[in-house]
Amino acid sequence: MCRMLSSIVPLLLLAANVLCAVNPSDDEVGVGRYIIEGRVFPPENSDASNWQIDTRIHVNAGEYIGFVKNDGTFTLHNVPSGSYVVEIVHPDYMYEPVRVEINSRGRIRARRVNYIQTSQVIQVPYPLKMKAATRFRYFQVREQWRITDFLFNPMVIMMVLPLFLIMILPKMMNDPETKEDLKQFGDIAKMTEFPEMSEYFASFFSGGAKPGAAKAKQNKKRQ
Amino acid sequence: MCIYEDQIGKFDWRQTYVGRIKFAQFDTVSTAKKIIVATEENVLAALNLKTGQVMWRHVFESASSGDIQLLHFSDGDKVTTVTGSNPYLVRGWDPTTGVLLWEWPISIIDTERAHLSEWWVQNGMLVHLLPAFGSHLEVTMYNLMTGSNRGATSKLPTVWTNDGCILTPPYYTCISGNMGNYMLLSLDVTSNAVQIISKPLSNYFSEGEVIEGNLRPLDGKTSQPGFIIDDKAILLIKNNEFEPLNVRLADQSASATFIDAISGPMLVQAWSDENKGLSITAYNIATNTEITDMQMSGPKINIPEAELLGVLCINTAREQPAYRILLNGADDAVHLLQQGGRVVWSREESLANIVAAEFVDLPVSETDAALESEFDQKEAIKVYSSVWAAFVRRLHTQYQQLHTLIQNLQGEGAVLDTPSPLVRDYFNLHKIIVLITDVGKIYGMDNLSGEILWQRYDGNLNTESVVMFTRRSARHPPHDAYVTIIGKHEETGNGYVISLNPIRGTLVGERVLRLDVRLLQVALLHTVDAEKLHALILLDEDETVQVLPVSAAPLVRDLYMYVADRETGRMQGYALKYDGRQVIAQRTWSLNLGGAGARIVTIAGKSRTERVHSAGKPLADRSVLYKYSNPNLLLVVLERPDPTHKDVVTAVAVDAACGAVVAASTHRRARALPLAVHSDNCLAYLYRSDKHRRLEIATMELYEGNERWLPAGTQFSSFGCARAPSVERQAYIVPASLTALAFTSTEKAITDTHLLMGLSTGMLMELPWAYVDPRRPMTLSGEPREEGLIPYAPELPLPAEASLNYNRTVQRVRAIYAAPSGLESTSLVLATGLDLFYTRVAPSKTFDLLKDDFDYHLISIVLAALIVATYSTKYFASRKMLKQAWK
Repeated sequence: MCRMLSSIVPLLLLAANVLCAVNPSDDEVGVGRYIIEGRVFPPENSDASNWQIDTRIHVNAGEYIGFVKNDGTFTLHNVPSGSYVVEIVHPDYMYEPVRVEINSRGRIRARRVNYIQTSQVIQVPYPLKMKAATRFRYFQVREQWRITDFLFNPMVIMMVLPLFLIMILPKMMNDPETKEDLKQFGDIAKMTEFPEMSEYFASFFSGGAKPGAAKAKQNKKRQ
Repeated sequence: MCIYEDQIGKFDWRQTYVGRIKFAQFDTVSTAKKIIVATEENVLAALNLKTGQVMWRHVFESASSGDIQLLHFSDGDKVTTVTGSNPYLVRGWDPTTGVLLWEWPISIIDTERAHLSEWWVQNGMLVHLLPAFGSHLEVTMYNLMTGSNRGATSKLPTVWTNDGCILTPPYYTCISGNMGNYMLLSLDVTSNAVQIISKPLSNYFSEGEVIEGNLRPLDGKTSQPGFIIDDKAILLIKNNEFEPLNVRLADQSASATFIDAISGPMLVQAWSDENKGLSITAYNIATNTEITDMQMSGPKINIPEAELLGVLCINTAREQPAYRILLNGADDAVHLLQQGGRVVWSREESLANIVAAEFVDLPVSETDAALESEFDQKEAIKVYSSVWAAFVRRLHTQYQQLHTLIQNLQGEGAVLDTPSPLVRDYFNLHKIIVLITDVGKIYGMDNLSGEILWQRYDGNLNTESVVMFTRRSARHPPHDAYVTIIGKHEETGNGYVISLNPIRGTLVGERVLRLDVRLLQVALLHTVDAEKLHALILLDEDETVQVLPVSAAPLVRDLYMYVADRETGRMQGYALKYDGRQVIAQRTWSLNLGGAGARIVTIAGKSRTERVHSAGKPLADRSVLYKYSNPNLLLVVLERPDPTHKDVVTAVAVDAACGAVVAASTHRRARALPLAVHSDNCLAYLYRSDKHRRLEIATMELYEGNERWLPAGTQFSSFGCARAPSVERQAYIVPASLTALAFTSTEKAITDTHLLMGLSTGMLMELPWAYVDPRRPMTLSGEPREEGLIPYAPELPLPAEASLNYNRTVQRVRAIYAAPSGLESTSLVLATGLDLFYTRVAPSKTFDLLKDDFDYHLISIVLAALIVATYSTKYFASRKMLKQAWK
């Protein structure tokens, strides 16, 4: 039998030192310092006049940060050779990230980021041309109240239809022609206990539009 | 999971900060007057002069490559910054819009001395000065816009320089010579002719004064180069001559600046005294008079160690000029004062560096408290001897409730003016967030508005590895809430304990306690004493135990602690016992995880408030998969260099009470991130895979299996069961980089848990645990499908809809704190970093609350229409019946 026990696990290490979160890049860091350059194209039909101030270029998630000039060009200085993911960060628009590889001789190649098949190379032009892919959709669209939605709502239809049957049909009944038809129909019903379906319909359709309503009533009754 | 557009700002708020201000320059030429600031947090920003709000902001790299070395701005010019630490980057910015205009890099070949570099801008040229103490000065000038070098570097031979020298552009000033016959030497480094000004230092001091020979420059942007000697004498350099001022520094700690006012050059000094508060004096140099309307002193404003960042003199329509004084405090707060000492605005910049946060419940209102005590069983027996007494009391309470109701109805208009009282609301959504900042300032913040309710600065508190405990919540009416902060003393490194009332910010209980020993570990006792207070257990460096309050020592039983050393990966377990006289700590277990050379990157334990709602998961075949719910479980993530695989990450789940390793996994060629979370039987941690150059999240779930190990209702014991749980594990690719990770937490844990992630792009994401569930099957067929598991996909979806903060970017998210509210569906979330963002999330949608777009009008109209229809048809029907009866 387990002894009843409760213990407390404290969460922090007081004696330990601060953690250094920044690790040097694992790839062989060359002595040379290179630049990554490119151009950001503002989203079309964007109304924001100063999109440059909101746009930042993050290399390896903020290890190097670049800023956009008025014409959209950007340059990242002092980047050692290695492999970098270049992201354009904008609060409203999404840009595709690009992987930029700088070899030890300073040759630069840019390719698409593929996290699953990391060896697959689909080259993209360098200097980079970054175009806004889409606008971020942050919000759910609230359902708007429309009259058609309301009318075609099954609940409403269920309410309106019986109303129609109750209010309109008795009015139609007052029409003498329909009365006659119905009478005839009643006679047939009396004669044969269960009328033939084909006859039933035939008599209906010969009556034109008005018997149509009668049929609806008949259906309703059967329900 | 995602919100509607009309809900913007309804449950959330964001506050933007820039960090402690390093340099500040006034911009009064542009139409919108502003202050351009550069900060210790590597942020360049423009603050509105009138309101103090951020107009534009650029956040540089947080590492040394983003350090701002120089901020230059003069009226009508462009803003220039020099950032980085060899190589440096020179950038020009448009002061009105903040758009980048030019940038060019500088590398200094002499890397060893590069950190001694000094920069300034003179006549459209960027001047770089590199001193070699005792030998020469290297001065290089660059074109500010293009970086083209005007001629070569000029070397000025200066054998008299030492590391106490200061730069007051363009003069480089030193005190040289031996004690007793110091010489004051100064050199204009940009002039073509080398002219050294040299004077004996004793000229500026009266006889008999001890001269130490310490130099410090004037603060802020001075109109004339000047410096302070020995915190006493102030000297200016004018026309290549030293010019001593006939005013001395008013206080040893005073900060002084020199500006050109309309009435003539002016010396402004500011200093603060613990008792007397802030004092400011201004002195006109030309007329040798004190400017009285600038003078202020008094304990009204208390700015610890005030430092002048800049003084602005504005010409107003009237004769009198207006002054604006920008002051920085040791608590990182920045204040803009106008003459007379009125504070125009203040910014609490220490909030850019939050190290700990805790949500604290508010106390219930007085009437509610009376009600609660009435129904409290123990209390009731004591107070009411008879049924009648209870009945009278009931009537009294009801009268009180009626009274407050009437008062509320009457004073509805007046309520808006007075701040809402700090009482708990019906759903317990209103709380106070206690925040500890890096600089040692503690804040109490209203979670609904983000307003600061109280603040307290303690310069002695070193917040490195600080912890905060809520030792008593506000649920126990006669007693106040009680929060204790345990940190280190700034100077000695010994334990430093501050106890506060989190609602009002006043000191309570032990108040401020300076321990005379360093602490190893701190824990809270799980049982409460007679005053409903959880005692604090402190494990000292020499492994003795202190219990606060001492009277709670007999309550210590079955308490286990552990201590982990980050650098060696060693963990040591202790068992604490009360032996009749005192509490003693016994070493019980020790572990050396991760192998030789391993370093602990992070440790994740369970939250203290965590609850487990269900014991297992129902499977498709109607059986139950029982969870391994060990309350003592810890997730330790270690990293160690490896000769063949470069770096190896090891994650170990350890039982902290008995030291047993429950589960472990290893990742080769990977580097661990300090992000790990643990809740219930779920563990998650992040690592960067160097092999595939991507971020991956590994998750584990621990299960007992289809059979329960213990009979239902039995409490888990770490010592009772020697069985190992079965471990489900999986890893997923995260197509972004994370800087913070947390679990949502709710009152009873019935609601799903979601992962909250802070991205490096400034987005906060909410990801359901189902997406990282290690039981996601490879193929979707049969049982898993029936259970509702999602088939495995390597990459996690991070859609924009899952973003909590939509386009309100939160820069440099450092941590995410989640706290339960009174509503089971809702969890309160605070993200801290350079900015603060607060919101609330409902992981399983708000199932216990009406939707906020619930259409009250429609439902009441429909109801009314139905009633009308019923009665009208009744009326019509009776009329028809009547008619038919007449036929």
